[in-house]
Amino acid sequence: MPASSVEKPLNSPNKGLFNNTAGFSTLITVTVLLLAWLAGFASRLFAVIRFESIIHEFDPWFNYRSTAYMVQHGFYNFLNWFDERAWYPLGRIVGGTVYPGLMITSGTIHWILHTLNIPIHIRDICVFLAPVFSGLTAIATYLLTSELWSRGAGLFAACFIAIVPGYSSRSVAGSYDNEGIAIFALQFTYYLWLKSVKSGSVFWSVCTALSYFYMVSAWGGYVFIINLIPLHVFVLLIMGRFSQRLFVSYTVFYIIGLLLSMQIPFVGFQPIRTSEHMAASGVFALLMAIGALKYLHSLNPKGQWKQLLILGGLLAAAAVFIAVVLLTYMGVIAPWSGRFYSLWDTGYAKIHIPIIASVSEHQPTTWSSFFFDLHVLVCTFPVGLWYCIKNINDERVFVALYALSAVYFAGVMVRLMLTLTPVVCVLAGIAFSILLDLVLREDELPIPQTESEESKSLYDKAGKLKKRAHEPTLPTDNTGLGMNVRSGILIAFMILLMLFSVHCTWATSNAYSSPSIVLASYGNDGSRKILDDFREAYGWLSQNTAEDARVMSWWDYGYQIAGMGNRTTLVDNNTWNNSHIALVGKAMASNESAAYEIMTMLDVDYVLVIFGGAIGYSGDDINKFIWMVRIAEGEHPKDIHEADYFTERGEYRVDSEASKTMLNCLMYKLSYYRYDSGGSPPGYDRTRGALPGNRGFKLTYLEEAYTTEHWLVRIYRVKKPDEFNRPRIPLAKRIISTTNAVSKKTSKRRKGLLKNKPTLVKGKKVSRLE
Amino acid sequence: MSSLTSVVPKLYQEYITKTPKKLKIIDAYLLYVFLTAVIQFVYCCLVGTFPFNSFLSGFISTVSSFVLGVCLRLQVNPENKNEFQGLSAERGFADFIFAHLVLHLVVINFIG
Amino acid sequence: MAKIQYSFIFFLYIIIKCNGVNVDIISSDLKLKNVDRNIDISSQLVKITSKITLENTGRAPVKYFLYAAESVTKDNLAFVGFKDNNNKDLRLVETSVKGYDDVKFWRVELKEAVNAASTVVVMAEAVLTKALLPYPTAITQQEDQLVKFNGNLYFFSPYYVASQKTTVIVNTKSVESFTKVKPFSQQDGTISYGPYSNIGPFTEKELSIHYKNNSPFLTVTRIERLIEVSHWGNIAVEETIEIEHTGAKLKGPFSRYDYQQDHHSGPASVRSYKTLLPASAADVYYRDTNGNISTSNMKVKKDTVELDLRPRYPLFGGWRTHYTLGYNVPSYEYLYHSGNEYLLKMRVIDHIFDDMQVDELITKIILPEGSTNIKLNIPYPVSRLPDNLHYTYLDTKGRPVVSFTKRNVVENHIQDFQLRYTFPRLLMLQEPLLVVGFLYMLFLCVIIYVRLDFSIHKAEHPHKD
Repeated sequence: MPASSVEKPLNSPNKGLFNNTAGFSTLITVTVLLLAWLAGFASRLFAVIRFESIIHEFDPWFNYRSTAYMVQHGFYNFLNWFDERAWYPLGRIVGGTVYPGLMITSGTIHWILHTLNIPIHIRDICVFLAPVFSGLTAIATYLLTSELWSRGAGLFAACFIAIVPGYSSRSVAGSYDNEGIAIFALQFTYYLWLKSVKSGSVFWSVCTALSYFYMVSAWGGYVFIINLIPLHVFVLLIMGRFSQRLFVSYTVFYIIGLLLSMQIPFVGFQPIRTSEHMAASGVFALLMAIGALKYLHSLNPKGQWKQLLILGGLLAAAAVFIAVVLLTYMGVIAPWSGRFYSLWDTGYAKIHIPIIASVSEHQPTTWSSFFFDLHVLVCTFPVGLWYCIKNINDERVFVALYALSAVYFAGVMVRLMLTLTPVVCVLAGIAFSILLDLVLREDELPIPQTESEESKSLYDKAGKLKKRAHEPTLPTDNTGLGMNVRSGILIAFMILLMLFSVHCTWATSNAYSSPSIVLASYGNDGSRKILDDFREAYGWLSQNTAEDARVMSWWDYGYQIAGMGNRTTLVDNNTWNNSHIALVGKAMASNESAAYEIMTMLDVDYVLVIFGGAIGYSGDDINKFIWMVRIAEGEHPKDIHEADYFTERGEYRVDSEASKTMLNCLMYKLSYYRYDSGGSPPGYDRTRGALPGNRGFKLTYLEEAYTTEHWLVRIYRVKKPDEFNRPRIPLAKRIISTTNAVSKKTSKRRKGLLKNKPTLVKGKKVSRLE
Repeated sequence: MSSLTSVVPKLYQEYITKTPKKLKIIDAYLLYVFLTAVIQFVYCCLVGTFPFNSFLSGFISTVSSFVLGVCLRLQVNPENKNEFQGLSAERGFADFIFAHLVLHLVVINFIG
Repeated sequence: MAKIQYSFIFFLYIIIKCNGVNVDIISSDLKLKNVDRNIDISSQLVKITSKITLENTGRAPVKYFLYAAESVTKDNLAFVGFKDNNNKDLRLVETSVKGYDDVKFWRVELKEAVNAASTVVVMAEAVLTKALLPYPTAITQQEDQLVKFNGNLYFFSPYYVASQKTTVIVNTKSVESFTKVKPFSQQDGTISYGPYSNIGPFTEKELSIHYKNNSPFLTVTRIERLIEVSHWGNIAVEETIEIEHTGAKLKGPFSRYDYQQDHHSGPASVRSYKTLLPASAADVYYRDTNGNISTSNMKVKKDTVELDLRPRYPLFGGWRTHYTLGYNVPSYEYLYHSGNEYLLKMRVIDHIFDDMQVDELITKIILPEGSTNIKLNIPYPVSRLPDNLHYTYLDTKGRPVVSFTKRNVVENHIQDFQLRYTFPRLLMLQEPLLVVGFLYMLFLCVIIYVRLDFSIHKAEHPHKD
């Protein structure tokens, strides 16, 4: 409790920001929100304390790199940035293919701090952006829940979302990704939307549109908003809850939101061209039609209009639907993208887009991960939902729809757990609030006081304080419970909440706070050893290779090579061009000489592979290899066959029983070249628990350029044609190859021209849900 | 359908008598905006949508002017007092101006 | 603009320098009775120490004598220093002699004049960088590094040398070849030449030694040393360093297997090196643009802090690395003051590794905001860069930055500079007051805002946004 007493004098002037009712409850609200912010911030710092202030994972490295570019070169240059370091030889127009909200946010913070002469490095801003925004998310959630139910429930929800693992998994310090700020934008947009539905004020709906604009600029998940809000309106219409307030708020929001969303270069004309956005315009037209009919009805309120109204409404709906279908058919509106399909049919991606299916985040969610990410909330949120439906009004319809759709999406894809988390927190907050109201209706003071002293965790306090603030205003219709039963229930719930907080801390600390570019291993005596192989390799690349060297690796490492190694990559985590990735996959899956042809065609100077066999790191390239084969097979079915890489019994193995193709492919050779250290038999692969089947071979076309201390990253240099003894080739063939070499040289400058390469596949880049 | 034809003059009668003058002014504005939108649409159908963003911004700006006008009309209408509690006519007008400010800033940016 | 300014200052510097250069003549009265020369080429540097016995054969007492560097070595010459019998430094002035345009001369001023027919003994020390060339220029991972030293068999002097001896320390038995001019002798680790007698002035004869040298050939291509002085009791030092292995380049593949199997693999590579920091250094950090470099150890010793720095990867020939090393030292050890007058005494450059050679040094000193009357005093010539301003926390008009640069720096340059400036002590209150004032204004604004929120009704909502 000393913390809150310290906060008091500092915050008391702030109360006006949140509401105008003076006094104690405001103070408590502000204090609890502040503590929630602090707790949320602090619990996300495990990675910084254990390791250092560093950008994590893969995508954040790209975001960081482009933010740094923006800070250095200015906003307009950033929008026009053509990055020739990515997707060699195609390049990438970065300004037009990113959601710039994240970069603009941290760039703005950086600019403000620097005009105030506070020289904080842009990296630190990027690292700490997500934890800071988690506090804003907590406040937005509080506002949303208070709008829905009560301020008490809001405080509960704010405290939940501050520490829940489902959200902190995406927003720990260093995980500098779109989601970190997008969840705030999402919650805030929903809050403003409810506010505008409630008041029918143009002001609030314009604010909704502006907040929606921020969301569009930040994350592809804005599609969720632009479908959920029309759905809400539509359901309200069906329920016969049309009101002029609804008309005002939706029409204004839609039309301004539409215009604003088209300002983002990456989104462009999609809002009027693609099916994902059509529901919103359909509902807009429908609402206009109903509004007009209603108006006519109000001019002459007679019985005959009733049928006309319904008929007109139905006709309008049908007309809109038919128009959309027709336009789609005619090709004016693009049909749903593959990623979108994979939301409806979980098997779709596996068959048609292996590149999406290969990402572990895109797998269906398991039950255990629901519990792991949400813990007790997953059990309590149906209670809140039930109460919302029981005491239905316009806003609660919204939250019910939100909950139902989010649960569905979260079940389809692990990463969409993120959209479920906020609504679960909101509803669980409502449930807990109701419960405490029930239990503590009469004896308000004594029990909470004692409780708050014995439990230290912040959200417990929030619960208690809230109920005290809130209780007198919300009388419930329940009969009184016995004293003992009450305290029993109360204690049980406090224990539950305590367990929740312990679980949250544990999960955040153990599962989500690893930077993944720095690995830590623990010795038998508990001492920690840091394996810094990734940065060792990227540091080597950046210092000891030619400035314009081109590095071929699997796409996972593209952003990191560009961000830390500062070298040109062929493919990266922005997987927009499937055929290019398939070409790299084909090179990895072919034998050395076939791979060399592809590599010279692509002007590759270095090849980088990740090999975890020496230290037992399971996320290495050999384990991902089967996806490379699959993706390559999708584009080059004549040359690559997935079955060739399995044993006859259909097993995927690397030891002497592995198939011949497997033992001779480039990836295998690069991983195991001169690998003779490791476990007790020399050359033992600890990740796969096997002795490699092909050993002691020599490389003809490549040479080892660098291997990191623990063999994790291996870099090979592709030899120039005059550096190796070419295997004997018939004379006729030799002539062809020389002419090829010549033509390669001349066409080197021409971007986007690749021999033997199918035309670029379009349609993969639309609407990435990330 | 015959009832429909008979209804229209009746509606017109109702409108003339019942609607306050303030609202009629707004209605005139709405009609003007609506006609502008129609002209733009017809023009684009005839000539083509080449600078697509210019057409879009022009068209959407008229649509949103129309929508905002309707909203203002709804909020100012004394019959709707109960619907919009706490929203005075002045407040409605201030909101209207604010929304137009945002709208036209964006339109100017978009029209290219 | 800045460029013009810079070049202007540079010209000014040259003009001043030109004016300052004296023209001397070689006195025929002086003779070198005996020269005992010691050339240490066991590290990457060439360190030449000579014991010179000077004789005045004329009649008048001589106050100074000349020291010369042959045209070949004068570009590599990083440091020249003279000491007299009592181990006191002698003053050196650059000079020139008519008719010897490609020879570089220094005038060494003696403490006491040498009388006629008497002798005096002085110790000369010279350090050459980049005088050892790897030959062959590229080696494979397992090979030893062979280098070639080309020098002058005789002591290069404008005077007649009566007798001289040279000892070359190579510190290895594997010498591939060396110049053989009798009398000479070779025994473990050293090659001795001489005595040679009666060598005329400006005599050059090639001395060439080809031998194994696996000592680290590391060159600091650029170091930027930033010293930030705070009157709150702290001086922060940050060094941004770029290092390159300038020995024989690595030829062919790098094999981790060989490197791991055999600890003596890669004999010419550098795994780690030691950096010595001041004893009071605290909060040491060692990082690069990608974050901390986790492979380093720190040992606090009695008179120094020893850092065992391991770059992210071993350095082979031609490989480069860069990093930032920073630490704090308490200001009472380096900052003296009386009243408003302050004196900062710190090293121009600090130890990076033993036998270091630095191509380019830039030292920047950031003084507290409001410092004036800045006077810099450096023991050897450097080129001063234009002053500018630096903005950091709670600054309003910026902190003055004094910076200077020097090329070709070696360990002998680790000396103190002196920086005097005036700083009104009352200014120290400025920053706390700024914070207090800002918070005060913030609260005031909030209070006013809250009051207004109560009094004004609906109309202010649209403006709220």
